[in-house]
Amino acid sequence: MLKDYISQMKGAMGSEHTEIRAQRNTSRRVSVLNGDMISNSRSEESGVCVRVYRNGVYGFASGAEYSESAVREILEAAQRNAKFMDERTGKGKPALPVIAKGTVEYKPYFSDPEQKAYIDFVREVDAYIAKKYPKLVSRRVTAYADSMEKLLVTNDGADGYSIAPRAYVPIIMTANSNDGSTVEMFRVLGAERGGCIDEKYRSVEDFAAEIEQNYEMLMAKAEGVYAEAGVRDVILGPNMAGILAHEAVGHTVEADLVLGGSVAAHLLGKPVASELVTMVDFAHTLHDGSPAPLPVYIDDEGTPATDELIIKDGILVGYMNSRESAQHFGMEPHGNARAYTFSDEPLIRMRNTGILPGKSKIEEMIASIKDGYYLTETGNGQADTTGEFMFGVNMGYEIKNGKLGRAIRDTTISGIAFEMLKTVDMLSDDNVWVSSGFCGKKQPMPVGMGGPALKCRINIGGR
Amino acid sequence: MNNREIAEYTLEKLTKLGADAASVGVAHGSTDELNVDGGEFSLMRTLFDTNVGMKVIKDGKKGNISINQTDKQSIDEACATVIASAEQSQPDEAHRIAPFAGKEKFTLGVLEPDIAALYDRINEFLRTTKQDYPKIMMEQFIAQYERENALYMNTNGTEFEQESGEYSISSMFSAHEGEKAGSFNGADALFTDLNTPLIDLAGHRRLFGESERSLDPVSVDGKFVGTLIATPPLMADFLYSICGNFCSDGVIIDKTSPWIDKLGKTVASSGLTISSRPYAHEIVCGERFAEGFKSEDMDIIKDGVLKSFVLSDYGARKTGFERAKNHGANFFVTPGSRSVEEMIAGVERGLIVNRFSGGEPSANGDFSGVAKNSFLVENGKIVGAVSETMINGNFAEMLGNVREISRETEGGGRRVLPWVAFGGITVSGK
Repeated sequence: MLKDYISQMKGAMGSEHTEIRAQRNTSRRVSVLNGDMISNSRSEESGVCVRVYRNGVYGFASGAEYSESAVREILEAAQRNAKFMDERTGKGKPALPVIAKGTVEYKPYFSDPEQKAYIDFVREVDAYIAKKYPKLVSRRVTAYADSMEKLLVTNDGADGYSIAPRAYVPIIMTANSNDGSTVEMFRVLGAERGGCIDEKYRSVEDFAAEIEQNYEMLMAKAEGVYAEAGVRDVILGPNMAGILAHEAVGHTVEADLVLGGSVAAHLLGKPVASELVTMVDFAHTLHDGSPAPLPVYIDDEGTPATDELIIKDGILVGYMNSRESAQHFGMEPHGNARAYTFSDEPLIRMRNTGILPGKSKIEEMIASIKDGYYLTETGNGQADTTGEFMFGVNMGYEIKNGKLGRAIRDTTISGIAFEMLKTVDMLSDDNVWVSSGFCGKKQPMPVGMGGPALKCRINIGGR
Repeated sequence: MNNREIAEYTLEKLTKLGADAASVGVAHGSTDELNVDGGEFSLMRTLFDTNVGMKVIKDGKKGNISINQTDKQSIDEACATVIASAEQSQPDEAHRIAPFAGKEKFTLGVLEPDIAALYDRINEFLRTTKQDYPKIMMEQFIAQYERENALYMNTNGTEFEQESGEYSISSMFSAHEGEKAGSFNGADALFTDLNTPLIDLAGHRRLFGESERSLDPVSVDGKFVGTLIATPPLMADFLYSICGNFCSDGVIIDKTSPWIDKLGKTVASSGLTISSRPYAHEIVCGERFAEGFKSEDMDIIKDGVLKSFVLSDYGARKTGFERAKNHGANFFVTPGSRSVEEMIAGVERGLIVNRFSGGEPSANGDFSGVAKNSFLVENGKIVGAVSETMINGNFAEMLGNVREISRETEGGGRRVLPWVAFGGITVSGK
């Protein structure tokens, strides 16, 4: 656990908003390619940072050395930087309002076992796949874990301590396809929540169904056809809906991007989706009372974390804010300002962003489409300030006359988020969350995303 | 302890703990950074960091660790941990510490920054942008000066030392007029002096002009097969994807690369030469050493013939192919003889694409995604910017279908690339 050299600095903070954060990040990775261990690494990164707000600009400094004297030096460097910017910009903005007091702590189960724990599990999974699926031309199994431990002191917000561990086992299977090329399927075993390697991954048998499903999808894709390009009736599976919530909508309503020219700047209070759609950035507890995949109880500005309602019954009702942007928009900050390492400043980031489930059964949704696609797995996604988004599609099926047909090869879908969401006319009654990814925005950041299957019209790439 | 003392202490410790061979890289760095958000100065950062990276081989098994603390206790703990990690791993003859490769010191870039002058250049950049390109909104602009002292040593006697410093900028912006908003666009550059206005770096003027002309896009109806003119930023993205999909460790080791048996054979049109040249004068602080080897310039494709994969030492020893002479990051494509304007005039129907927002390419090189910051060309003329338009193709087929290469190039200190026209790309609109 991080030593506390920073609480004693409260008296030296001055009157301007100041945060001091000590932080330690860890990362562990083992990767096996066709039985050969190609990666076996661990890393640790720790240090302290200070950020000072002065009349509309920030000064920030960080250092790897973490001691009483080092904290004092970093504080002085941050104050110098704030002064440098203030003197030159002369913005003259008011101080940030005081938001909270007290201390918020989050201490879930945390363990940091030796590399052997990762190596043993990866080898177990690799041996299982090699034996059970001899037709594969390649297999790659990885185990990775990361953690962020943060100790925060502020002079006009809450103080905090939190530790956030994640551990996952991604697998990639590759097979020959019907046209002589190769196809692959990627899946993260245990993607639904964070946690630690020793409590999540005890036996490969616990993941046999997920591995089998990945193999079945790969075999179907090996016989797959190219999608027919154009705007089509489509069901986006829950994994696709999650990335839609995050990429296509979430980023456009981050207040810093709103100030930077996002399309959402003109849409607050207006309909942006069908009345079926409600979307929330959850802090730590989901709508059904279960824990969020990656709980956040306090952000790195000292704001206790609460949910941010973004779309309610199709109407855009909120942005995600930092303390500064909340002041600008006259909104309340809800704990979205987060930093990835000790040398990063807090940015407005999503936490656990999802579309709430509806009332339809997936079978009814498929039956309602005469000629379209059911897209189930995604690889990556990007969105634009205009709301135009793109997602890679790693797995999908034709729908012909209300029935699932042939699998399709990898493709891409795109659309304008706030137009496409208006075409949503069915939402499934289930909900799937994933937490294994990183969001990229100057800094990486672990995020959770989720949703039900949704039926809509969307542009699909193909030949 | 200074870098040398840390490196020597670490190697000695690892050897005492039983390592058969080991390497250590120690780096001390500092960064000064100025940030603009929403068109206004927002933040100044000063960062101090260290890194100690260790690699050990014991009984043919490998372990890696990286820490950023340099006190003896932290180094001792890291040494013990990485030895244990190696012991718990599995043996593989392809793992090794690089053999003796000499002792050399490199000094690169600019070692004394002028942050006040950098601030003034940014201010000038914001003023000029507002004046010359009034529809451009600067979502984010980051300017940095990074300074690093790095030392690599291994138990085979190699010592590489590097002292370097560089300025960098990166921008993200879009055009706006009333409630109309264009797609975001961006650029980045490395440089070593502040003699040039920042707006004249990284193609900013071209990109600002194109963004402003993109506010009233035209529709592409249906689907057609035509020409794709890839701008230098898009070429950079494509080349990274092509190297990753066809030439990198994973796909060569598991033999899933479509180019697995193509070394020395034609994989692209005869006019295409792609190289990676960290020593070229256009490149700022290019790689001088990696994995314990001194880096060299290399050809990847020369006159359409595949000359080198981009393999690590491990990948090379695992497959029997040659290790790449550098990491394959400083791309050059040999320019052609025609101007961009002439290239456009020769296109019957196609797209000029500046940015590609797409899914990860498939193992066979298939790609599909949205053409961003792109323009429709018909009968040799630019018709207008496009929106909601997708492109689909296959990298292997595309490289064999090069129609033209421009004589103009853009770089930004990291690469030097022309505009390249490829035939046979599927374009689909709404």
